[in-house]
Amino acid sequence: MLKATHDVTQSSWGGGISPFAVGWNKLMMWLFIITDGLLFAGFLASYGFARLSSSQWPDQLEVFHLWFIALMTFILISSSATMATAVRGAERGHRATVLRFLLLTIVGGLVFLGMQAYEWTTLIREGARLYSNPWGVPQFTGYFFLTTGFHGSHVFTGVLILSITAVRWKKGLSSAEGVELTGLYWHFVDLVWVFIFTLFYLI
Amino acid sequence: MSKNLPTAGYALYWRIWFLLLILTVIMVFVDQVSLPRLALVWILVLAMLMKASLIAGYFMHLRFEKLTLAVIVGVGILATAAALFLLIAPDGIRILKLSSG
Repeated sequence: MLKATHDVTQSSWGGGISPFAVGWNKLMMWLFIITDGLLFAGFLASYGFARLSSSQWPDQLEVFHLWFIALMTFILISSSATMATAVRGAERGHRATVLRFLLLTIVGGLVFLGMQAYEWTTLIREGARLYSNPWGVPQFTGYFFLTTGFHGSHVFTGVLILSITAVRWKKGLSSAEGVELTGLYWHFVDLVWVFIFTLFYLI
Repeated sequence: MSKNLPTAGYALYWRIWFLLLILTVIMVFVDQVSLPRLALVWILVLAMLMKASLIAGYFMHLRFEKLTLAVIVGVGILATAAALFLLIAPDGIRILKLSSG
């Protein structure tokens, strides 16, 4: 009987005292990521609705500099790889590696933000506004500024959290799990960009 | 830290980074060649989902977590987002038909 109970709780669907086999703080981070993901899902579903109901939509290749956006994507993906390296370093107790890769991740985030600011400035100078633009479909820039703006604010928040984590790690106040939670948030920001890049800039 | 994480060093993450990079370059190239619209959308969505799976699975370690956690994340985000879009998409198409004809 005891063995049977043990087998059930150890199986993929077993409950037990820790049904997801992670600590409470990591579970809370995952639940936060799900809810935050639904925020962007709402934006993108609404954007899909706008695309379906519009008889015309600006050609993104004429509006955006695609290779510039691809470079932004490359930088965010690279910062995710440096973050993953920092998380692994924390698990292994490689203190200097963690700090070095956290700083590289921060630099990646800052470069991404700088490039986004440049992209926004260029478009605004070309006449793009929240409710109007020179490309004939007013809601195009509405969705653009709303979606990329929310994502940008997430990147900015991520850079702040990364900076706090780096300082705490240097002082010996942050645990390996603390670095891992910061990493989960940062990867989520990268994950959201994968969807925005494809659905907004390419399709 | 995920219990089932392979003991290999940092190389795993840089292999995933390389795959993500290749997928991104393919997506940008595909977008600039003249393919039928439907084929283009399918290729891009497929590549997007592959990239998302690589990030969630390897960078976020979801592949090494218990299956229940992966399921609540997958169902929680992807299924709800798909349901949300599929519920409002028919209205979008109806508006387009009304306005065009």
